[in-house]
Amino acid sequence: MEEKKSDVAVEMTVIKKIYKTGDEDTVALGGIDFVVQKGEFVAIMGPSGSGKSTLMHIIGLLDKPTSGTYLLDGQDVSKISKNDQANYRNQEIGFVFQQFNLLSRATVLENVLLPIIYGKKDGATARAKKLIKDVDLEKRINHKSNQLSGGQIQRVAIARALMMSPTIILADEPTGNLDTKNSLDVMKILEKVNKDGATVVLITHEEEIAAHADRIIRLRDGLIVSDEKVAK
Amino acid sequence: MKYWLIFRQSIKGVTSNKVRSFLTILGIVIGIGSVIALVSLVSGVKVSISDQINKLGSTNLIISSGKSRFTQPQTSQSGNKQGPMGGQNPQGEFSGGLQAATLTTADFNDLSNKAKQPNIKIVSGSISGTSLINTKDGEQSFQVAGSPTTTFDIQGLKVAKGRLYNNQDLSNNERVAVLGSQAAADAFGADDPIGKTVKIGTQDYQIVGVLSEKTGSSLSDPNSYVYVPYTSLSKDTGVDKFTRITVQVTAEDLVNSTKTEVEKLLLRNHGLTDIKKADFSVMSSQDLLASVSTITGMMSALLGGIAGISLVVGGIGIMNIMLVSVTERTREIGLRKAVGAKTRDILAQFLAEAVILTVIGGALGIVVGFVVGKVIASLVDVTPVITVSSIVLAVSVSAIVGIVFGIYPAIKASMMSPIDALRYE
Repeated sequence: MEEKKSDVAVEMTVIKKIYKTGDEDTVALGGIDFVVQKGEFVAIMGPSGSGKSTLMHIIGLLDKPTSGTYLLDGQDVSKISKNDQANYRNQEIGFVFQQFNLLSRATVLENVLLPIIYGKKDGATARAKKLIKDVDLEKRINHKSNQLSGGQIQRVAIARALMMSPTIILADEPTGNLDTKNSLDVMKILEKVNKDGATVVLITHEEEIAAHADRIIRLRDGLIVSDEKVAK
Repeated sequence: MKYWLIFRQSIKGVTSNKVRSFLTILGIVIGIGSVIALVSLVSGVKVSISDQINKLGSTNLIISSGKSRFTQPQTSQSGNKQGPMGGQNPQGEFSGGLQAATLTTADFNDLSNKAKQPNIKIVSGSISGTSLINTKDGEQSFQVAGSPTTTFDIQGLKVAKGRLYNNQDLSNNERVAVLGSQAAADAFGADDPIGKTVKIGTQDYQIVGVLSEKTGSSLSDPNSYVYVPYTSLSKDTGVDKFTRITVQVTAEDLVNSTKTEVEKLLLRNHGLTDIKKADFSVMSSQDLLASVSTITGMMSALLGGIAGISLVVGGIGIMNIMLVSVTERTREIGLRKAVGAKTRDILAQFLAEAVILTVIGGALGIVVGFVVGKVIASLVDVTPVITVSSIVLAVSVSAIVGIVFGIYPAIKASMMSPIDALRYE
C-alpha cells in the first residue's frame, strides 16, 4: 500500500449489490463499470434511491459488492476481510462526510491527526500542520471543533482526509449542510487539493456542486445512465 | 504505540464528561472504600488482639473449663454454678460465655507439684464469684476472682496500698480481699478502702490491699476485680472448681510439650481418655493467635463479601453508563471506523474507558476507605492497618470489575457496522 502502483485510482467492473429482503432481492447496484484516473475530480450524481450511497459505501470500503471486481490503486479489494478494509480505509481513502465529521471535543489538530491512531505516517504532526495551513485554519489549530463554523468543520475534514495521502478523497454530500457561500468555499478547497494532485470522488445531488468536478457520472436505478466530462 | 494512542483517546473519553464519570464511579468508590475500611479495621483489631495475647506471655498455657470455643461447638452449659458474670476473668483469657467450671482443686495441686511438673514455673487460677460492696450509690456487684497468690505474679499485679494476701491467708481460709484499682475507685471513690468490707455470699471479707493500675490487655481488665483467697471463697460458697487455670512454662520451647503433658494429666484426673471429649481445653498464646487469625480471617471474608456486593452494584452502574455512552457516540464510532479503526481498536478504546473509570474509582475508594477507617478507628480505639496487599487487591478487583462490566458495551461498540453508525442520527 505504500507506493502508488497504478495510474488508475478506482476501477469498477460489473459491480453489483443485491440486498436480500425476505424472498425478494432488492437490486441496489445492477452492474456498474467505471474508471477513475489518478488526479481526476469526479462527481457521482443521482436522485435518492439511485444507488449512489451504496456505491459510495463500496468505493469507501465500508461495504462489499455482491459481485464484480473493484480495483483500488490496482489492488483487488472486492473480497478482502473487514480488518483489511479498515487498513485500506486508513491508508487509501480520505472521507469527508455531510455531517458529524469531527470529534467535537477534540481540537482541529487532534482531528486532523485522528487517522494516525489507526495507521502509521511519518512526520505526522508537521504534515497535519501544513494541511491545516492549506485549508486556511492555522489560526484555529488549537480550537475545539465545536467552536468552528460549518464551513470550517468541512475544511478540517478535508485536511484530515488528506492526512494519510490517500489514493482518493471520497466526499459524500460535503456541502449538504452549508449555505451557498460556505459551500463555494469548501468546493474551492476541494478543487485546490485536486489541482495539488489528489483524486476526488464527490457524491452529490446538486448540479451546481457537481459542476465543480471535471466529470459527472449519473446513476439511476442502480445503473450508470451517463458519464461525461464537464465543459469548463 | 497504537494502543497508547487509543488509551489516550479513552482517557479523553473519561475526562470529557467529568461529572458523569464521577457519578458513574461513585458505586465503585463506595464499594472499594467500604472493603478497605472494613478490612483495615479488622486487621487493626487483629493486630491489637495479637499484641494483647503476646502481652499475656508467650510461655503461658491457659486451661479453660469446657471445650475450646474456637475449635469445637459449645455444648449446653446447664447446671452452671458460676454466677452471673463470667464474662472475663483475671487471667486474661477469652471467656465470654457461661461455662460450668470443671477444673478441680486436685488439678490445680497436681499442676503446682514442682517435682512432677518440672517444666511448670508458676500455676495460677481463679474461681469465679460475685461480691457486693456498699458504695455511696448503694450496693453494687463486683466480679470476684478466688485465686492463689500466684495470680499477682503471673499477671504482674503490684500492691499500691496495704498488702497482698499471702499463702498463710490461703491456708487459714482468711476472709481477706485485695481490690483492683478500678474496683477500688468504683466502689469507694477517693475514700481509703483498707479496712472496709466486701460481702461475698453471707460473709464479709476485709479489704487488706489495693492494687496499682495495670495497663495491658483489654481482653480482660485485671483492675476491675476483687481478689480473694480461693480457699476461703471455695469454703464459703461451696464452689470448688476453677473456671480457668493459667500455667507459666519455664521456657518458650517447652510450651508445646508441656501442653501435651498437662492435657494427659487432666484427662487422667477427669477419668477420660479421648482429648476430643475433654471437658477442658488447653491453649497456648500460639493457639490463641491462630484462633484470632481464623476469626479475623472469617470476619474479613464476610465483610469483604458484603462490600463485594456493592462492587457488583457499582459495576452494573458502569455497564449502564457505558451502554448509554456507546449509543450516544455511535457517530463517533462510525467516524473512527471510517478513518481506519478496526473492531479491536474500538473494543480496546471502550474497554479501557470502563477500566480507567473503575481503577480511578478504586483509587478514590482506597483514599475514602482509609479516611473512613481512621474516623471509625478513632471512635473505637483501634489502629486501622492498610497493607500493600489490600491496596493491590483493591486496584486489581476494580480493574476486573471494569473488564467484566465494560466488555459487553465495548463489544457492542466494536461490532457496529460503520455504515449504520455513520447514518445514526
